[in-house]
Amino acid sequence: MGGGFRVLHLVRPFLSFLPEVQSADRKVPFREKVIYTVIALFIFLVCSQLPLYGIHSTTGADPFYWMRVILASNRGTVMELGITPIVTSGLVMQLLAGSKIIEVDNNVREDRALLNGAQKLLGILIAIGEAVAYVLSGMYGSVGQLGVGNAILIIIQLCFAGIIVICLDELLQKGYGLGSGISLFIATNICENIIWKAFSPTTINSGRGAEFEGAVIALFHLLITRTDKVRALREAFYRQNLPNVTNLLATVLIFLIVIYFQGFRVVLPVRSKNARGQQGSYPIKLFYTSNMPIILQSALVSNLYFISQLLYRKYSGNFIVNLLGKWKESEYSGGQFVPVGGLAYYITAPSSLADMAANPFHALFYLVFMLSACALFSKTWIEVSGSSAKDVAKQLKEQQMVMPGHREANLQKELNRYIPTAAAFGGMCIGALTVLADFMGAIGSGTGILLAVTIIYQYFETFEKERASELGFFGF
Amino acid sequence: MALSGAVPPRGSAAAAASMRRRRTTSSGASGGAAGTMLQFYTDDAPGLKISPNVVLVMSIGFIAFVAVLHVMGKLYFV
Repeated sequence: MGGGFRVLHLVRPFLSFLPEVQSADRKVPFREKVIYTVIALFIFLVCSQLPLYGIHSTTGADPFYWMRVILASNRGTVMELGITPIVTSGLVMQLLAGSKIIEVDNNVREDRALLNGAQKLLGILIAIGEAVAYVLSGMYGSVGQLGVGNAILIIIQLCFAGIIVICLDELLQKGYGLGSGISLFIATNICENIIWKAFSPTTINSGRGAEFEGAVIALFHLLITRTDKVRALREAFYRQNLPNVTNLLATVLIFLIVIYFQGFRVVLPVRSKNARGQQGSYPIKLFYTSNMPIILQSALVSNLYFISQLLYRKYSGNFIVNLLGKWKESEYSGGQFVPVGGLAYYITAPSSLADMAANPFHALFYLVFMLSACALFSKTWIEVSGSSAKDVAKQLKEQQMVMPGHREANLQKELNRYIPTAAAFGGMCIGALTVLADFMGAIGSGTGILLAVTIIYQYFETFEKERASELGFFGF
Repeated sequence: MALSGAVPPRGSAAAAASMRRRRTTSSGASGGAAGTMLQFYTDDAPGLKISPNVVLVMSIGFIAFVAVLHVMGKLYFV
């Protein structure tokens, strides 16, 4: 180490100010982990309902509408920023480290500490930056309306919420809780959305008398109040612009399909070199990269939407801007902009089967885009994240594992037969499932559901593993 | 070097952390690439040490603070 200037060392002066959760110096019992996880979740839920103090209005178009799902944020609440700061800083750092712009030697303790510090510092800075940008851009009413005092209060609230999310995530990751805070928050947000759409008791008057928003509630309400039961049933199943029972059934179906596919795997037998007779197996899942392809894909798409919308509002006459996307205010979801032309339109899911039949080219383009983007992101991700055949071969070698019947040098070649295929094909399957969910009109967008199911499945796995290890511990 | 001086001497905690890391890598080997991006802080870094309970109390304090702001706003400033 040493030798010249390194960007990472800029972080060192700040390191002692960054909040840092102590790592557990004992094994935290399973029960305690569950309790910590539940409390963290509770705090998150309260924060995502608690309105910000001092805001003037949150009406009008929401430029971040398309990102809210993957960022677990809620408009006008303390969780306005959601997990944006952490995810963005994490992505940036991964990219910087992956592309060797900042050098990190993962074997040096100090480097790892600095990288973590840098990530956290960047996260806090992003939170501050975004909070200031939100307030100054007039998302809560112009600064003149708010008054300087309130504007500062809003910024402080947003920043502090960002720091709390970072701390909660770290708390869960350091072994006090189950899984990671980020995925927990995303999954919770999506599940909350689905439950709300299914059972929401609010009524909406859409010209045909008051209707319940929740699909299940509406079904019973219509069945009881209408005299013509068949028509009532049809109404509950196929009503447009409010969640209907078909949407709910589609959601459940997608859940089941994804869980079924999670079990698909190729098991490679491996054997320990020094401990004779110790057999093991190395499973390669079909969903090798799990939900990463859709996280990356939706990050890409939502950024594109954001830029395109901004450009369209400023320069709607420009040819290139129109090529990127044309936007129109939607009649249903209160002032929300929806894409109606250009690239942004073609990478958006068709809103219904009828829409699909009317514009087959749109549907086809969307399908091809989703599948190829997911496959591509999946293949890139294994290289970036260090789970490519080469890395896995190295890992197995470090653990003194060999494949019986293959020479040691052949290990990588053998893994190479499966891993890239699994990654690309798995990514494509995830993409296809997302498209399927969108076409069937599942609640909360295909991306959201896929994210939620894969995260919940991961949780289920850790849960089982924890329980098993606990039992093993008591068994001794 | 001066660098090592910045790292507080923590024998047991560091050892525990490295042990946990090894375990996670070996279990990660069987899981695939899932959620690698979503795991940022698994390591110890020198910094302002706070215990997990402090984090929870801090968050609840923050929630209470915002709630009080709302109440005060309703009572006095309107």
